[in-house]
Amino acid sequence: MSTPSGRNIGNILVIDLTREKIVKREASPETVKQYLGGRGFNSKALFDMIPGRIDPLSPENVLALASGTLAGTALPMTSRLHISTLSPLSGILGDGNAGGEFSAMLKFAGYEQIIVTGRAEKPKYVFIEDDEVEIRDAEELWGLTTGETVDWLRDEHGDEVSVAGIGPAGENLVRFATTMVDKYHSGARGSGAVWGSKNLKAIAVIGTKGIEPADPERFYKMAKEDIDYFNRNDFVRRIYSVIGTHYGLIQWYPSWKYFQVPLSAEELPIGLRPQDLAEYEVGRTQCFSCPLACKDVYYLPSTGEYGTASEFESIYALGSNNCITDTEEILRMEHMADEYGMDVMTLGDTIALARLLHERGILSDEDVKGVSLEWGDAEGQIQLIEMTAYRKGFGNKLAEGYRNFAKLYGEEALAYCYDVKGVNRGWYEVNFIKGIFTLSHATSTRGADHLRGRSWAYWENDKLMDIEVVRGMLEAGLPDYRKDPVGALIYGERACTLADSLGRCKGSINSWLQAVPLVWKYPVFKGTAMLLTAFTGMEFTEKDVIDATDRIYLTEMAFNVKQGIKKKHYDVKFPPEFAATERAKAQVRRHWELVDEYLERRGCDVETAYPKRETLEGLDIGYVADQIEGKEFPEWDGPVGEVA
Amino acid sequence: MFVLAVIYENCTGCHLCELACSFKHHGVFDLSLSRITILTKPEVQTSVQVYCLQCRDAACERVCPMDAISRDRNGAYIINYDRCIGCRECAYACPFGAISFEVEARPIKCDLCGGEPECVAVCPHDAIVYMEEKKAARELKKAKAAGVAYGLYGGKETSEHPRKKAEEAVEYLMKLVEKSGELDV
Repeated sequence: MSTPSGRNIGNILVIDLTREKIVKREASPETVKQYLGGRGFNSKALFDMIPGRIDPLSPENVLALASGTLAGTALPMTSRLHISTLSPLSGILGDGNAGGEFSAMLKFAGYEQIIVTGRAEKPKYVFIEDDEVEIRDAEELWGLTTGETVDWLRDEHGDEVSVAGIGPAGENLVRFATTMVDKYHSGARGSGAVWGSKNLKAIAVIGTKGIEPADPERFYKMAKEDIDYFNRNDFVRRIYSVIGTHYGLIQWYPSWKYFQVPLSAEELPIGLRPQDLAEYEVGRTQCFSCPLACKDVYYLPSTGEYGTASEFESIYALGSNNCITDTEEILRMEHMADEYGMDVMTLGDTIALARLLHERGILSDEDVKGVSLEWGDAEGQIQLIEMTAYRKGFGNKLAEGYRNFAKLYGEEALAYCYDVKGVNRGWYEVNFIKGIFTLSHATSTRGADHLRGRSWAYWENDKLMDIEVVRGMLEAGLPDYRKDPVGALIYGERACTLADSLGRCKGSINSWLQAVPLVWKYPVFKGTAMLLTAFTGMEFTEKDVIDATDRIYLTEMAFNVKQGIKKKHYDVKFPPEFAATERAKAQVRRHWELVDEYLERRGCDVETAYPKRETLEGLDIGYVADQIEGKEFPEWDGPVGEVA
Repeated sequence: MFVLAVIYENCTGCHLCELACSFKHHGVFDLSLSRITILTKPEVQTSVQVYCLQCRDAACERVCPMDAISRDRNGAYIINYDRCIGCRECAYACPFGAISFEVEARPIKCDLCGGEPECVAVCPHDAIVYMEEKKAARELKKAKAAGVAYGLYGGKETSEHPRKKAEEAVEYLMKLVEKSGELDV
């Protein structure tokens, strides 16, 4: 085994589907120290294995799945499976993480990471039971929904099996198809289509080994403090465990009619309020080792189906942003997206964009023949969702996903496409809160994203929870976003990189409390260093942890450089009407000032946005500089290759 | 007399009790070494908890050919490994499947952690209680009564209805939102 203690860091499994070859290798202690695990491992694998611009749906693409370093332990909420690939949606790094039980099971089976390459000739699935790994025929599974796939594999291998895989959308190469874990947990940015392109339907895993921290007592003591904190926290118990992310409907201003109106709590239509959604709730559930239970289990009387996790994003993207307020229809759409395996945000945003383009006459009636793009037409939207999953008719265009979809209709359409590096911005505030919102979307290494750092940097939600935590964090060195937005963002990006690499959930509530442990007691990086030292038996200092997060982030930036990302791609788009105003122009000027400062402080070249050699060498990853320094890469303009 | 009881209505199937249990007894996180087992279908809220009920007239104790199982002062049946020959009879006899065996036929079962059960300490939803018998019975009754009332009213109008709970949560949230405007650090 790879680390001094033996039973805490698993092996790496490399599966070549073309040759049907399976190789197991150890994760070296150096790699653990440098890249921690989870997202860090994946980003390194992608950087090492993908030389430059390739078609994300070609066999050369790499699909990497990693459990976080601390998955499967009693440190709560540490059950995120990180899934990374060259995204068929954006054409840059595409990663996301999903909950469920897969990451713990993978760790119990003795693996840290699975790397899939090549393309199988016929549909296959992979079955893992501890040391045994097999590539099996999946012809019977091809075409099944995610729910049916999981049920089939449970019948075959027993109820304890945990499954990551795809539904029909992934098979049909929908560019925002997701990797679905245990039916309902989804990891976005198009990884599902990569599974489909590789003819890989699913990976099923059963793990029965144990995980042993190097210093068990010390590790458990900290983990238990963490559990105690969640178990006692008022916000968690009274709000989060009761309505989950639906509380965002009250607090985060869900947008109405393609980002035109942000809805305050008072303006929220009947049908979209948390209590309306609760009418359909029959229970609550959560991922492995999570004390929160943020996910609702709902029942749909009209179809007799059960679904779960109708999060804030699904309600705004499928609902309010398309002017749909029928609670049950929205839940039904959410469930359909899960069953087909599609990302609800890109799905909802792309449909809303289509509605807007049609309204403005950019999409002609001829273009949208046979489908209804009336605002608020729920039945029509259900049809559109199905057509998208199977790439039928107009659905074939929607399946290209947000920016690629707009590109089909020219510059005029692109003007209404609010993306960064090919990824829809999702809901965002036009208000320029010290620049953090736009800056954080621009600097995210997987395209526009609120979970790459912003929520931390901007104290989102924490104001509601525990002002003492904010005070403590400021005392411990967190820059105040009102005085130093760039510093605050970099801090936030480090913290989120860390959470993704340890396997800690941050998406659930994107606050400090949930992101990384022990912040109420120790500064976050120091606390994490203590945890990692106790777990791995290798000495981690606060600086080691911060350096590791920077190493991961800069490796990701360098990966994107190889995909043709230039400084100009750090721009952000506003609605054209707003962009023409003086206020918007002032915001854009300020934005570029902040981008320059950001690149400078990240150790990147301010003109090219390339990470500098000296920065990379300072982090002992000079090999990254070797691949990008002095090189020109063709400019990025979305993913290479055509499907539609 | 204290009893360990699971109020299954409260269990969401997070497995933290299993991780805590295997750690407390073996220093590892290993579901197969836990004395309590939660069988779940994780995506829907159904779980079954398998654990030792410390029966008054215990089958494991009676079938043990070596008299290796006896009750301690907390009421827990404890296996004396000096006497145990590893025949697994106790595990086969237990009507609940609450005794499992490690490698080399070493039976393992709940020992109530000497009076401080670790599973109770970590359970986020108060689904496992360790209480004086009468109190535990009352807790159980309350949980059942809430469920019955919920059923009697067709799932409506009781304090247990998710909508009711959501309304309370929203009300509390609105208060926090108001308050947060005044806070400054």
